[in-house]
Amino acid sequence: MTQTQASSTSQAAAAPSAVAKTGKIVLKRTIAATVEELFDAWLDPESLAQWMHPGSTVPSSARVDARVGGTFEVLMPREGGPLRHHGEYRVIERNKKLVFTWLSHATHEKETLVTVEFHALDAGTQIVLTHEQLPDHETAMGHNKGWTAALNLLEEFLER
Amino acid sequence: MSDATRRAILARLAQSDARVTELASAFPISLNSTSKHIRILERAGLVTRSVQGREHVLSLNAGPMADAAEWMEYYRRFWEDRLAALEDFVIKKRNKDKRRSKQ
Repeated sequence: MTQTQASSTSQAAAAPSAVAKTGKIVLKRTIAATVEELFDAWLDPESLAQWMHPGSTVPSSARVDARVGGTFEVLMPREGGPLRHHGEYRVIERNKKLVFTWLSHATHEKETLVTVEFHALDAGTQIVLTHEQLPDHETAMGHNKGWTAALNLLEEFLER
Repeated sequence: MSDATRRAILARLAQSDARVTELASAFPISLNSTSKHIRILERAGLVTRSVQGREHVLSLNAGPMADAAEWMEYYRRFWEDRLAALEDFVIKKRNKDKRRSKQ
């Protein structure tokens, strides 16, 4: 029941064409939960493993060294071997802001930057997630590994 | 998960063409349900089927996937899904904690 009461909105901040040029995406989502509940879910490895996974029923495994300069690693289970996502924490302001680097097969193991901001609202907490320094489409598809990402896209493609 | 199965089928076909029976034996699901996934992929134009003798051989049709492969769109959907999962997680966790404290 609680789930249906939870209000949530989610949107890209700019039109796709503009986004592709800057290599940056911004998402906002308001969740009917406290800032503490949401912030902790990012840095507690047991929590992170339960929601940071690609829709599979099998949880990911996660390792977190929650300090500036510390690293994290999330292994998302998938047929054909787990997908490794990893990075380093740059900013940790409890209940306010998290900044970390993000590397994966989809970034071609190139460093990208994720900023998560938490804003307390009457209705809950607004999360603003910014992912920047993303490889542009051309760079991305110039690599063979682009194929793997294309497979990842398929789920969404089929559901449209 | 059905999506995972379809993705796995495509990943397999990305390596080489395969017979339907071969695909069915590679996944822990029935021939029937494999066929269902294949039909969905065929309808989406991602997989094409050719009949060679008694065997049906499937190959990957990469064109539509390249169209779908907008990079930013990938990560936008990725984080949308993750944030939705985060929401589910915190709400379920809270309900669980509540039940526990009542006991």
